[in-house]
Amino acid sequence: MSLLCVEGLVVGYSAADEVLKGVDFSVDIGEIVGVIGPNGAGKSTLLKSIAGLLKPGRGSILMNGESIGGRAPRDISRMGVAYVPQEQNIFPTMSVRENLEMGGYIDPAGCGRKIELAFERFPILSKRRRVASRALSGGERQILAMAMALMVEPKVLLLDEPSAGLSPIAAEDLFDNIVAVNRAGVSIAMVEQNAREALTIAHRAYILVDGRNHRDGPAAMLAGDPDIRRIFLGA
Amino acid sequence: MPPLLAEVAQLVVNGMMAGAILAVPAIGLTAIYAVLRFPNFALASHATIGAFAGYIANAKLGLPILPSVMVAFLAAGAVGVVTDEAVLKQFRPAGFITTAIASIALTIALENIVRFGFGNELRGYALPIERDWRFGSIRVGPQQVQNLAIAAVAMAALFCFLTFTRTGKAMRAVADNPMLASIKGINADMISRLVNFVGMGLAGLGGMLIGLDTTIDPLTGFRSILSVFAAAVVGGLGSIPGAVIGALTVGIGEELCLLFLSPDYRSAVGFVAILLVLTLRPRGILGQRADA
Repeated sequence: MSLLCVEGLVVGYSAADEVLKGVDFSVDIGEIVGVIGPNGAGKSTLLKSIAGLLKPGRGSILMNGESIGGRAPRDISRMGVAYVPQEQNIFPTMSVRENLEMGGYIDPAGCGRKIELAFERFPILSKRRRVASRALSGGERQILAMAMALMVEPKVLLLDEPSAGLSPIAAEDLFDNIVAVNRAGVSIAMVEQNAREALTIAHRAYILVDGRNHRDGPAAMLAGDPDIRRIFLGA
Repeated sequence: MPPLLAEVAQLVVNGMMAGAILAVPAIGLTAIYAVLRFPNFALASHATIGAFAGYIANAKLGLPILPSVMVAFLAAGAVGVVTDEAVLKQFRPAGFITTAIASIALTIALENIVRFGFGNELRGYALPIERDWRFGSIRVGPQQVQNLAIAAVAMAALFCFLTFTRTGKAMRAVADNPMLASIKGINADMISRLVNFVGMGLAGLGGMLIGLDTTIDPLTGFRSILSVFAAAVVGGLGSIPGAVIGALTVGIGEELCLLFLSPDYRSAVGFVAILLVLTLRPRGILGQRADA
């Protein structure tokens, strides 16, 4: 059984305005799973629904076999699912250290130890621990947002377009960090506009089009598919 | 010291004293704005409620000033939580303008409840009559200094609460980014009750400090709300250090205007300050947009 398993997920503002129209999706232990597709395909909606920010209309979302669909974000977070929004994913006037503390708000036990662990894992944050986080660069903000999510020691990390707006160098650095987090034992579901990079680091990937599953499979296979290369990778 | 310079120095000292007291409710207003995103004008009646709660504790029950100030804080804070839960919370989904207007209606209702219970006459706290202290040509009342100390302790306590406690940091997190705070599991309802308690408690404390300097009546809060609002706007709505700077600016400005104008025009300083800030720097001195 998958760690995170979504089946037939329908999410929308009304019956006539469905964003997800029956999506299947899963993440196994130790995987990086990419989600790519054109704008408006429902990629971010999928992650927000898993995180509890949007209520599913139909379908199921299971974490370790237990239904999490429609639960409050804090309950879903307690069950080991941490979500990193694409934007506005830090507390701008608070210091880097305080942001990490708030990242682990629901599980304050051992907070100091977990913050030190975060500083060891991401030395760039350690150097800037007392700085108000609004002063961080775009790449540093994304790393902080990810480090905040890791404070609850999740089993699955949901990353919503982490490289959006970053320079190529900052994006590359961020992807290296994502791979390192995954190697440390955290499964990752990642929505990305940067399909080429996403397929490079992911083990498997899903392609969503118009709120439905279009293709899925091993990332290397999808990256080698001529149609996908032409449509999504610009090759 | 030349007479004009001495007069200016005296007015600046008076202004700093008044500003420090003004800062207390201004912090309350700005803290509530930061978390709940609407200017809560019911702060005026809560300042009055605090002033009267402190009056009962001090003049009726015979408590000294310091415990009476605590009573003012606790009573206004408790009323703030109840009125928000019972009245203003229902208006929040309708937007900030509707909620702000509802807060004006609420403040009129509460003010009249106080009037119903206590009448319109002026009342004073049971204070010992003390000689002013003189520093050269500058005179300072011991009660003014005590008020300044109480205001400073209240502000320092709030600073420590927001900086060093987990709940205080959670309050700042909600003010910074409510959606992310919700994702991180911070209970927004608990934080909104807490900010109402602290904010309205500070309003009540401020109301009593204003009353200690003069007298109290059901319009005590109403008369000072313009200056409080001006202080928060000048400093930058939502910024607590800004509220302190704004209050000192407005407090000193109101005193210095006495050099040129009759005291009747003192409250015009608040209007002018709001006008200038909204024209020249709408976000206030320390206000900033959360742009992350």
